[in-house]
Amino acid sequence: MSNENRLDLKFGILRGAAAILVSIGVAAILIFIVSDTPLEALRYMLISPLSSPRQIFGVFERMIPLMFTGLAVCVMFSANQFNLAAEGCVLLGGFVSALCAIYISMPPVLHVIFCILMAAVVCGAVMMVPAALQTKLGANVMVTTLMLNYIIQYVVQYFLVNKCADKSQGATMSLPFLETAIIPKMKYQTSWGFVIGLVMVLLVSVFIYRTRWGYSIRMTGVNQKFSGYSGMKVSGIIALCQVIGGVLSGMGGSVEVLGYFDRFKWRQMPGYGWNGVTIAILAKNNPILVPFASFFLAYLGKGCVNMSIYTDVPAEMLEVIQAVIFLFFAADKFLAKYRQRLVVKQTVKYIDTKAVKEVAK
Amino acid sequence: MVQQILSSVFATSFLASVFRITAPILFAALASAVSERGGVANIGLEGIMMISALSGVLFSAWSQNALAGALGAALIGALIGLMMGFFHLKLGTDIILAGIAVNMLGGGGTIFFLYLFTGEKGNSASIPSRMLPTVDIPLFKDVPVLGALSGQSILTYAAFLCVILVYILFYKTPLGLKIRAVGENRHAADSVGLSINRVICIALAISGALAGLGGAYMSMFYSMGFNANMVAGRGFIALAAQAMGRGEPLGTMLSSLLFGAADALRNNMEGIGLPSQLVATIPYIITIIALSLYTAGTMNKAKRARKNRALRERK
Repeated sequence: MSNENRLDLKFGILRGAAAILVSIGVAAILIFIVSDTPLEALRYMLISPLSSPRQIFGVFERMIPLMFTGLAVCVMFSANQFNLAAEGCVLLGGFVSALCAIYISMPPVLHVIFCILMAAVVCGAVMMVPAALQTKLGANVMVTTLMLNYIIQYVVQYFLVNKCADKSQGATMSLPFLETAIIPKMKYQTSWGFVIGLVMVLLVSVFIYRTRWGYSIRMTGVNQKFSGYSGMKVSGIIALCQVIGGVLSGMGGSVEVLGYFDRFKWRQMPGYGWNGVTIAILAKNNPILVPFASFFLAYLGKGCVNMSIYTDVPAEMLEVIQAVIFLFFAADKFLAKYRQRLVVKQTVKYIDTKAVKEVAK
Repeated sequence: MVQQILSSVFATSFLASVFRITAPILFAALASAVSERGGVANIGLEGIMMISALSGVLFSAWSQNALAGALGAALIGALIGLMMGFFHLKLGTDIILAGIAVNMLGGGGTIFFLYLFTGEKGNSASIPSRMLPTVDIPLFKDVPVLGALSGQSILTYAAFLCVILVYILFYKTPLGLKIRAVGENRHAADSVGLSINRVICIALAISGALAGLGGAYMSMFYSMGFNANMVAGRGFIALAAQAMGRGEPLGTMLSSLLFGAADALRNNMEGIGLPSQLVATIPYIITIIALSLYTAGTMNKAKRARKNRALRERK
């Protein structure tokens, strides 16, 4: 690794750490304002998620949907496509697989695979809509996908409330899933979906960094026009990455619903799509870093939930922290002056050693 | 049923509800137009509206004055716009990501602060906030169709007034010229000595203030007080309205009215027994269709222009 690369890496890690520290600092200030027992609240937020194996597996459990949406957003943002429908696809994927889990009977393992595949296929197909509108008609993908999220939400609500609600229950929820469709637990409450997530991380990493399609996706993200001139089918690639994003987020919704619940209960978008954007930013669009970023976010999420259970600080603190991480982590010029100083220092050192060598000669 | 829908559409009350529903979308769409013409896409409108909706309620409760509440909401909106500008220009955060961050603050942060100030997490019913006054226009009040224009809230009139104000800003003031120049080509504007950072910050502040008024409208007139997630995607619909209006004040107003009408239609159709969830998708579907048709039209026009130019050059 050359000197400059090492400097960049060192500085990147430093800046990331600084951004995270700033956001936790902001959280601490807010906690001191809101809470009567701020130190206890901080302890619950930062230490309790790692305090016992049960808690750590609780963090793993929260990681499952985040890994999928994180990967989905990574792939789409790699091609510079600001497609924000991961949110809706999680809901839709969860609902489709719930339907398959309730109304179709199959042998045990096959049933789970079938449910996840159906979710993936349906969500991939749905993502073709904004992709086609963008490549054929030029409609801004960000706006159409934001609208699509709401359409999906209301349609799912309609079917859930009017067609497949279990009338014997007080709250709105579907009939229970068939036993064969439920993803078994690995340990405590964490399902084997966690392993499926890790496998997908590996597959997507290989896809993005070791295949021709992955290369085309990344190149389109770097410079769309150049990719077009050098012979890549840019509109096909743009559609491809969005379909992959849909497939991944649909799988995420499916795995979460079948692994965590025994009935379908989501009446609104669960928010994992937006978390996926946070993860893609933390991971710098690199799929292999997605598990680490999702671990961090899941850890913060678990901490905030613990804090809201045991103290008087609301769990929505998580969104505030996420927003601050967002602003600083994505800030290219954050600490730029410090970086400048590092570069100058290193260059001076380099010139000095060179001069010494010259003199020695 | 068709008859029922038609008769309700042609009632004066329908027209009145179109204006009532359009106003917040119009504020946000104008906000989007100002920033877009300055060359920055402000997708944090949704979040700004949420935060301003909450601050409008809080300010009006503290001052016991509805207008002070609305002004406070606009001020907070402008401050958030400036904050986005700071992160975008000084720290290099992508403006779209800064917008998403603001939206997150609008989603979870407002619930957090609502809890901080009122001790509740769902709505602001426990604090005595004020509602915006309505204004009767004496001349129109009793005329059949024009009567819809009378008796609206003061901010509804302000929203449509802002269309004219933004037009004047764009085309009749030096600041507007600067904003358009920076939006057209940042580097060219820089090279003739414009302070682009300042212009973009001002554009974002105006944008934030307009969205802030939209937020105040939501919590101080459209519904009583603040509810969690009350803006419900209006900030995003406004982005579409602005895109269809090409950032021109008048066009933006017309497309906002289209979305307002779609939403009003939804309210009416719910009244006659169609499934409310499916009817609720109408404004969003119309947005996608209208936006696609519109961009398809401009793409075709550009293609034809290119072809004509090529033909001319060959001659």
